[in-house]
Amino acid sequence: LSARAWVLAEYRDEQELYAAARRLRQEGYRSVDLYSPYPLQGSDEALGLRRSRVPLIALLGGIAGIASAILMQWWMNAVDYPINVGNRTLIPYPAMVPVTFELGVLLSALAIFFGILGLCGYPRTWHPVFEVEAFRSAAVDALWLGAEVKAEEAEGVAEELRRLGAAQVATAREDA
Amino acid sequence: MTPPAATALARTDPLEQAPLIVGTPTDRVINDELLDHVWNPRRGWRILFLLALGGTGLLALGVGVTFARGIGMWGNNIPVGWAYDIINFVWWIGIGHAGTLISAILLLFQQKWRTSINRFAEAMTLFAVMQAGLFPLIHLGRPWFFFWLFPYPATLGVWPNFKSPLMWDVFAVSTYFTVSLLFWYLGLIPDLAALRDSSKSKAQRIAYGIFSLGWRGSAQHWQHYRIGYLLLAGLSTPLVLSVHSIVSFDFAVSQLPGWHSTIFPPYFVAGAVFSGFAMVMTLMIPARKLLGFERVVTERHLENMSKVMLATGLMVAYGYLMEHFMAWYSGNPYEAFVFLNRREGPYRAVYFLMLFCNVVVPQTLWWRKARTNVAWLWIASILVNVGMWTERFIIIVTSLHRDYLPSSWGMYYPTWVDWSIFIGTISFFGLLFLLFLRFVPAVAVTEVKELRHELAHAGAHAGAEEGGH
Repeated sequence: LSARAWVLAEYRDEQELYAAARRLRQEGYRSVDLYSPYPLQGSDEALGLRRSRVPLIALLGGIAGIASAILMQWWMNAVDYPINVGNRTLIPYPAMVPVTFELGVLLSALAIFFGILGLCGYPRTWHPVFEVEAFRSAAVDALWLGAEVKAEEAEGVAEELRRLGAAQVATAREDA
Repeated sequence: MTPPAATALARTDPLEQAPLIVGTPTDRVINDELLDHVWNPRRGWRILFLLALGGTGLLALGVGVTFARGIGMWGNNIPVGWAYDIINFVWWIGIGHAGTLISAILLLFQQKWRTSINRFAEAMTLFAVMQAGLFPLIHLGRPWFFFWLFPYPATLGVWPNFKSPLMWDVFAVSTYFTVSLLFWYLGLIPDLAALRDSSKSKAQRIAYGIFSLGWRGSAQHWQHYRIGYLLLAGLSTPLVLSVHSIVSFDFAVSQLPGWHSTIFPPYFVAGAVFSGFAMVMTLMIPARKLLGFERVVTERHLENMSKVMLATGLMVAYGYLMEHFMAWYSGNPYEAFVFLNRREGPYRAVYFLMLFCNVVVPQTLWWRKARTNVAWLWIASILVNVGMWTERFIIIVTSLHRDYLPSSWGMYYPTWVDWSIFIGTISFFGLLFLLFLRFVPAVAVTEVKELRHELAHAGAHAGAEEGGH
């Protein structure tokens, strides 16, 4: 496996950023990403991203919560330790609604939070792009494009990005 | 760094709204201005912190005495078996509701003005729910067995009774706290990354690097983040309505006159939002001054919040009216007596204080002069906080202290332990809030940048009359 490099280019204009991303992808570079301090409207389209799987994970979490709540209340209060209150029914559906709802929301929310972290691979406090000091502006006010390429291609890609209007270009290399 | 003078806010056309962001700052300026309070602690912070720490000592004292001597140290006794513990629990939980309302419901309604105040309000929710959770726990008598509340396989072989509203409360409050925490932290991640990347020292960079979990702002991550945040907002919306509804079931499901009423869930939710907005206002007005947030927390935010206060205040007033109407219309002498007793009984002073604070004071907000008068808003918001506390006092104490049989009538007076725990939680809340203002961006920096971006786009499309930005 050849050593890799991360070519980072800062763009001042959003449309130029998207154009550069599209151009690199057309040329066959797969690992192109955009970095911004807030979500951009056109980035999904420019990178050709597929729909996020977070909604599916949320749904599964919610179903798991609802199912476990119903099973729990039924088994605990009607099977394992039946509590007879004035000979009322052991399975009072209306009284099961609050706990069922709350547990559905709880597991769904946990699924969303940890689903996002899982899909993005967080926590991961170090990443090669952090080696570029100027890249710190990506969380403050700048738009960056990043491409993960083979080390020997880095020069060419950097040159190309400059040609596509980058305000500055920097490269982080793998030590290997 | 100095925010624009207040005169810049003066409007010539009365129909033109005050802006959401004053001036046209760049992202860098927004970033530096809104994070400045983390890098340069404000003068006075230390004094406030010490005050809050001292007050938290009162909490430790009150709780310590309660644990050592038992809950007999409190003023509640038969017939008033529930008092400060539940009053304060409901009050604090209610305060929390505005945070979720602002961050979730206003997000779904695409109310752009929520952006500058949501982080602040969410933190308030979190800390208020922490105070609330304390009260049922220390009222347990043997609080070290608190885990009996949860369904766990105990050697006793017993399971909790899920038909009890108190059990629903356990699930509602713990879910509410967890979801609020996740929502708050998820929103915070990009802002912590902004802090990491504007930090000057290595220690700060490492600390915020860890807490931001290594957020890179990648477009692929934003995609998951954005949809996930929206879904959490969608879940929080019914959640916030359910929590105070379930809290009200603690009362409404019992058969006590004054409690046994179908109006309770909506009436409690409206009251919760009412008191929560009041608390946001109480905290925000001094904080925006102290932290220099006048550029992003403008007159318009305060005015909108006061409109929500007026609307929910009217709902609460309607609740009071309906309770009295139903007491008369039901023809039930016990029900009618409870409300007669509220008006004319021994706690009538508290009752009229409640009416003044919750019904009369918000009516001033019909006038724009009052809604834009920051000093009056601050006073009004404090009065509403007082009013909502007295409302819970009235609901709980007056309903309990006159039992069906006059021989079991009694009076409730709080003891010094009750007071020290109550004042202690206010201080502890303040302490947590001060820590929040010291270490975490109090305004959602990322969202303000996004809003600026959107406003700039909208302005560019609308034409060049405002300088083309």
